[in-house]
Amino acid sequence: MEISVLFFGVLSEVTGTRIKHYRGIMSFGDLKHRILDDFPEIIHYNFRVAVNNKIINEDPLLSTDDVVAYLPPFAGG
Amino acid sequence: MRLINGPLTSATISEIIAKGGENHECGAHSLFLGQVRSDVTGGKSVKAIEYSAFEEMVTMEADKINKSILSEFDDVKAMEIIHSKGVVKSGEISMLVMISAGHREHASRACAKAVELIKERLPIWKKEVFEDDSAQWKQNE
Repeated sequence: MEISVLFFGVLSEVTGTRIKHYRGIMSFGDLKHRILDDFPEIIHYNFRVAVNNKIINEDPLLSTDDVVAYLPPFAGG
Repeated sequence: MRLINGPLTSATISEIIAKGGENHECGAHSLFLGQVRSDVTGGKSVKAIEYSAFEEMVTMEADKINKSILSEFDDVKAMEIIHSKGVVKSGEISMLVMISAGHREHASRACAKAVELIKERLPIWKKEVFEDDSAQWKQNE
């Protein structure tokens, strides 16, 4: 599967990017490991994950071209 | 819900108020304006906040907030939310919420509730920029 991953807020600085495309992803768990391999420092930050604009609470089934977003705690207002 | 570049100007705020006046069913408008505060951290003052947003999700979540307010407060006739993205200097306005209702009680309660939901649910982030151009990410408490 091809998955696009978006990084926001502090995570865009920590990873040095706002978007990264992954190919050959087998599952959400696989994706998480690939992201952690590329950006090990994100483990020190709090974040939630959204898939196609919806926050998830457990590992979802991904489909190709899904968009996964890493969201630090919100700070609007 | 609108995200605009930079601060809300007094012209934008006036337009929203004028638009509210077109609704003759309403007897009350409750207006909240969020302003960038010059907090002092470690002896340094905040000179601006740089906002960033996950725009697609902001739109979707704002729509849910809108529906939730309209279903909880049945006297509310209309609501407006505007939030800044990009740089807003201290003293400038970065957010507007206006609730229009038949009567004042629902207008003010719904406005307070909408502000809470916006802070809790909209994927917006802010980085405080200090007078010496150093910066730090800030999160809502």
